[in-house]
Amino acid sequence: MNVSKQIMNCEDYREAIAADPSESFEGGAAHVAACESCSAYRAEMRALDDKISRALAIDVPALQIPDLPPIGEDEENVVNLPFRRASKISTPAWIGIAASFALAAVVGVQFVGNGPANDQLLAAEVLAHLDHEPGALVVTDVSVSDEQFARVINSAVGTMDRGVGLVSYAQTCIINGMSIPHLVIQGEHGPVTLLLMPDEMVSSAVPLTGEGVTGIILPHGDGSIAIIGEREERIQDLEQRVVDSVEWSI
Amino acid sequence: MSSNSVDLKRRQRFDRVVSVLHRDLYRYAAWLCRDPGIAEEVVQEALLRAWKSLDALREDSAAKSWLLTIVRRENARYFERKRLETVDIDSLTPSQSAMLAETEDPNIAEMREALYRLEDDYREPLVLQVLMGHSTKEIAELMGIKPGAVLTRLHRGRIKLKEEVEKEAAA
Repeated sequence: MNVSKQIMNCEDYREAIAADPSESFEGGAAHVAACESCSAYRAEMRALDDKISRALAIDVPALQIPDLPPIGEDEENVVNLPFRRASKISTPAWIGIAASFALAAVVGVQFVGNGPANDQLLAAEVLAHLDHEPGALVVTDVSVSDEQFARVINSAVGTMDRGVGLVSYAQTCIINGMSIPHLVIQGEHGPVTLLLMPDEMVSSAVPLTGEGVTGIILPHGDGSIAIIGEREERIQDLEQRVVDSVEWSI
Repeated sequence: MSSNSVDLKRRQRFDRVVSVLHRDLYRYAAWLCRDPGIAEEVVQEALLRAWKSLDALREDSAAKSWLLTIVRRENARYFERKRLETVDIDSLTPSQSAMLAETEDPNIAEMREALYRLEDDYREPLVLQVLMGHSTKEIAELMGIKPGAVLTRLHRGRIKLKEEVEKEAAA
């Protein structure tokens, strides 16, 4: 939608005024001053907006603040999240003892970056999600099928070069309300989780660290990619390879 | 400064920010999930999360966007947890019906129903623009989409509402 032209035609103006009845876009006032029909359309849109505004203003119940836990000094500036680290096991033994992952050590993970709050919230979302799918964290030499890979890395997401590594897990998951590909590749020291988030921008790289794990969320185009592995894993060696392998669809 | 004094200041800051923004948070949550009962739960969880990471909020002037982001993510988390189905307007819970029935003005009631039926992708930017006064850029940042996509959704959303209301009037 083009709302920045100095001289607008009626179609442009009507699209713009329906998107922004306050007419904060350039060129609108000049157009409407010379076009009676669009002036009437603007009045119609503003009347509609008044109705929308009143309809949205539903009654609000009294504020109830939940019981707030005390914040220890060591917790300030740190968001602690549960994160299960899988033991190293090899296929096919993992199949029989997958349930034991539920008993894997729970360790604290913290953000070491000082990025904007939104970046930290995304990091929280990413780490909380990993806890949902501990079954993904297994050491294996079995690759997912091409069909499964294609289902997850579909045209709505983009493309990914499978040369990035042995992909042992591929599922579509929800992060921040968006469906995103959750992949696991086998690193030198165990499974490495990749979350491809085409719609989640970060202002800069967001490093993650914790007992036994390390990771990063990297900006990539209009989205970002989270890479998380065992502490011994040299994530920085993977970063470029992973980023180069992914191309978002337009 | 003693830890009690730090705690007190932190709590005072939290209460100040939340009391000012509570109405916006609740209404945003209610229009995201279209259920007042769930909205209250989502806001409670969001407040708890905000309390734990209050120090991430550097400036109180950024509190609105920060808290709305937390509410948005908490809402997504809630629905991921519960695996809830989308809402069918013909089989509403009492709480959902109450949200639609609380106005006596038939024009507003009609618009509220139209908003309720509007797809999430169109309703959310409208709520953020009309109710929260967010700019296109702010909406884009909050929703993680491009400004052009925000404008397109706002335009289409309003046109759909306009058509819906005109259809009702003609019926």
